[in-house]
Amino acid sequence: MRPFTYARPDTLADAVALLAERGAEARVLAGGTDLIIRLRDGSVRPEVVVDVKRVPELAPGIRARDGGMLVIGATTTMTEIAAHPLIRRDVAGLAEAAAVVGSVQIRNRATLAGNLCNASPAADTAPSLLVHGAVVVAHGLAGERRIGLDDFFVRSGLTTLAPGELVVAIEIPASGHGRIASAHQRRTRRRGHDLASVTLACGLDATGLTRIAYGSVGPRPILRLDTTGVLAAAASTDEARTPIFEAIFADATPSVRSMRAGAEYRLAMLRVLGRRALATAQARLAAGE
Amino acid sequence: MTALDGTIGTSPNRVGGIDRVTGAQRYLADMSVTDALHAKLVTVPVARARVARIDGSAALALPGVRLVLTADDLPQPVPRFGPQNLDRPVLATGETKYHGDPVALVVADTREQAEAGVAAVHVDYKALPAVCTVAAALATGAPLVQDRSLRAKDPRRNTNVLNEHVVAWGDVEAAAAEPGLTIVERRYTFPMVTHFAIEPHAFMAAPDGDGVSVWSTIQHPNWLQKTIAGLTRLPLSKVRVYAPDPGGGFGGKQHAKYEPAVVFAALRLGRPVRLVLTLEETFQAVRRAACEARVRTGFTADGRIAFHDIEADYLIGAYTDIADRVVGKGSYPAAGPYNVPAVRIVARAILSHTVPSTAFRGFGNPQINWAVESTIDEGARVLGIDPVDVRLRNLARKGDRFIPFDTPCDGEWDQAVRKAAELIGWDTPCPPGRGRGIALGIKSGPTTGLSYSIVRLLADGSVVVYAGTSDMGQGARTVFAQIASHELGAPLDWITVVMGDTAIVPYDQQTSASRSTVLMGNAILAACRDIQAKLRSIAATQLGAADTDVTVAEGVVRLADGREFPIREVLAAGLGRLGGEITGLGEMRKEAEAGHPLSGAPAFFEFNCTAIEAEVDADTGDVTIDRHVTVSDVGKALNPLQVRMQDEGAAIMGLGHTLMEHYILDDEGRIRNLGAIDYRIPTSMDLPRELRSEAVENADGPGPYGSKGMSEGALLCVAPAVAAAVRDATGVAIRDLPLTPERVWRALQVGAAPGDAEGRR
Repeated sequence: MRPFTYARPDTLADAVALLAERGAEARVLAGGTDLIIRLRDGSVRPEVVVDVKRVPELAPGIRARDGGMLVIGATTTMTEIAAHPLIRRDVAGLAEAAAVVGSVQIRNRATLAGNLCNASPAADTAPSLLVHGAVVVAHGLAGERRIGLDDFFVRSGLTTLAPGELVVAIEIPASGHGRIASAHQRRTRRRGHDLASVTLACGLDATGLTRIAYGSVGPRPILRLDTTGVLAAAASTDEARTPIFEAIFADATPSVRSMRAGAEYRLAMLRVLGRRALATAQARLAAGE
Repeated sequence: MTALDGTIGTSPNRVGGIDRVTGAQRYLADMSVTDALHAKLVTVPVARARVARIDGSAALALPGVRLVLTADDLPQPVPRFGPQNLDRPVLATGETKYHGDPVALVVADTREQAEAGVAAVHVDYKALPAVCTVAAALATGAPLVQDRSLRAKDPRRNTNVLNEHVVAWGDVEAAAAEPGLTIVERRYTFPMVTHFAIEPHAFMAAPDGDGVSVWSTIQHPNWLQKTIAGLTRLPLSKVRVYAPDPGGGFGGKQHAKYEPAVVFAALRLGRPVRLVLTLEETFQAVRRAACEARVRTGFTADGRIAFHDIEADYLIGAYTDIADRVVGKGSYPAAGPYNVPAVRIVARAILSHTVPSTAFRGFGNPQINWAVESTIDEGARVLGIDPVDVRLRNLARKGDRFIPFDTPCDGEWDQAVRKAAELIGWDTPCPPGRGRGIALGIKSGPTTGLSYSIVRLLADGSVVVYAGTSDMGQGARTVFAQIASHELGAPLDWITVVMGDTAIVPYDQQTSASRSTVLMGNAILAACRDIQAKLRSIAATQLGAADTDVTVAEGVVRLADGREFPIREVLAAGLGRLGGEITGLGEMRKEAEAGHPLSGAPAFFEFNCTAIEAEVDADTGDVTIDRHVTVSDVGKALNPLQVRMQDEGAAIMGLGHTLMEHYILDDEGRIRNLGAIDYRIPTSMDLPRELRSEAVENADGPGPYGSKGMSEGALLCVAPAVAAAVRDATGVAIRDLPLTPERVWRALQVGAAPGDAEGRR
């Protein structure tokens, strides 16, 4: 590991200023579960590592705002998310996804903002947050702005955050159509901690709008909607749903060179997981009403 | 029972166990000595390269960098070493032979400086065509992995076949020509896998007066001592090997790897040098041989095995290490624990431009047992005979010379088979969606051996045991202390077992082949009995009895008239005012046998029967092991808990190569899945829903109190038993490992081949 300077600013202003000043020389440290691996293998070689865990605005915590919005502090860990009663009740897919990230030890360290900012196509929390319409709250030299999560990811390792911008929180808005019931599914090579070869979430509301988001089959997670109501309708047959799924998954472009899973398998599993997540979301929607 | 009671057949707390689980144990990577420098390996990122020049000048200009050691800096010709053939250079010279073959060692004041130094070394190389599969290595015109000059007397020197091992009895072709046979012929493959010991391999060397000291995570300190003495031309007495308890070895730490390079660096610099491998580097240092096997087996209508015709090509690496012995010894009992009238086994060790394969728990048997047991299973299904019945009909019974010129069947093996079948509920209906499979396996124990032990009974009755075994987690310290406690009457916490220092501990050949309880255990037992004999004389003198009227056993001195004294009382009086101690010497020797293909018949067989109940998710290909039953013939469990832990450990390790583990090589022979992220081993979450380990104990082994070695058996049968269960559940046979979800899914997409689904339960 190459030596670097460790900085631990106490204020958001200091953190943002430092990041803006050092640009590509700086790396943000929250949970460190991605950063430390890359520091060790030399694939990132920062001059300065900026620990943001002392910045009050990024503090961990899950708060409900009036109107039903949930706000998750940037450094909230996967363990906290997976166990939180409001997340489990209202954002079930996210609770499921957070519960399978890494191992127990990793989940005790890994943060939600870190999982998003790392921008891995396989990030497990991304699909559930996408189907719930999550918004990233970022803070930079120019102040605060909100970025819809679908506008946040560019490709592996790259987001639309401007240089110097920090994610301070993730907002999960209340759906305009009442509760979204969601479910998460993934494929891995083993049950113990592993990176997903397909990660997928389905969200469903009472209007019959179905949202499916999936990752690890292209450069970034993808969100697609079914506005026909066919997926959601309990009476729909598999035959009726098949073309809808085909359209939803049409943008999946899994690598043919990956050693984690073959492209053909990933594409097939998208369809299996899509049906499974839909069935779970339907059951949850029905049970919640 | 208390934790201090060492009684044989009980399970006292593991000696050193608390330190292991609390992290207090000091592994070699935790140790250093004053002024130690840090070394890192320099490699080139291809499987094979011609190295024209290595320029270390830029590295040497960096702060802290002391040395860039290349083959040019070594005695010429570059010294070579290896437990079988002297074919591995201390550092690669002229040509690298596999992805990870080190060309230089950078030594610096800190590890970070050494890493920076490695990045600054300029290696001028040209990639050359490499052979990384059996087919490529055997192709006409394939590049030779080893230079002919290294194999000058070897008639196969113009090929990549290092050796061919043939075992045969009966007349296979005549047997195959008999009418009415059902003949099954199939091919099976087994991938390259690695040991993945949690403790990294680590090495340190320091000049020591007129000799050298070497620290290593080695399993065989005496082997290492001999290797270093040979390379440095020092007498054995001037090479001191420290071998702290390893954190897992599994065979991967048996023989020297980078110790010689570290020794040459330390001697050149006149300072201690240490090298701790990363996990990635460990993958490039040790692995198990891959195998492609063809099995042709004939069955009579009533399920008797009429013949086995077995060919196995083991893909070994670029240097022999112990791989040829693995091929020879592992394939030798390939016909299984059965009475088969005609057998032909041809096993070849094929050199390739890959990581040198070495000893690995099971020692060449799991690869071939996967193929042979799967073939027997298929035969049973084709014949419509229950797979358990087929095996029992052919199984050797005690005393049977099932391998005609070898150790006869040495256990009540049918008891293990019946127990496993009973525990899995073989005769009960299988729950819907699940399948069951069963497999048997044997492995030859040590064929030669030499272990010495010194035991000192100190004046207060406490005991010091010297044993050259390495306790790498298998629990040797505990069992040795139990033997001494049992024989000499000292509580366990009054016993110290000293290991891992060749200047202090007497010679032991090696820690391998599940030998230590039997061979070192017998040496310790003999040393304790030596002490008992001396005590008998002391007691006779002291108590005015004839020697012949005194017995000493299990910590107690008994006279013919019925009087009994604890050893400690007799000892205190007998040693007198000056105190002192009684020293016992024990030796256990298993000589080589001239003319035996393995240089000797095994001291015992490890026998295991594994039964599996599994379910398969047809949509995803996931295999879930619902129930995993393993039953091993252990002779006598000296410590039943440790026996179970070894058996379970072997079973779980077997699940690794069965379900998920394999090296993935790119077209250029580079390992793509170096490290923990993309090489998956089972975690606690991947264990069977129920794992049941039981032992058969008839006290019929050659070790102390009737024990046998048993640490590898439960690994032998996992793959064939799981694959049989998958086939039972789905009707689809899969003949390549591992049974990853994707592979199972693909097989299910293709569907059952004609005949695959026959005999489905």
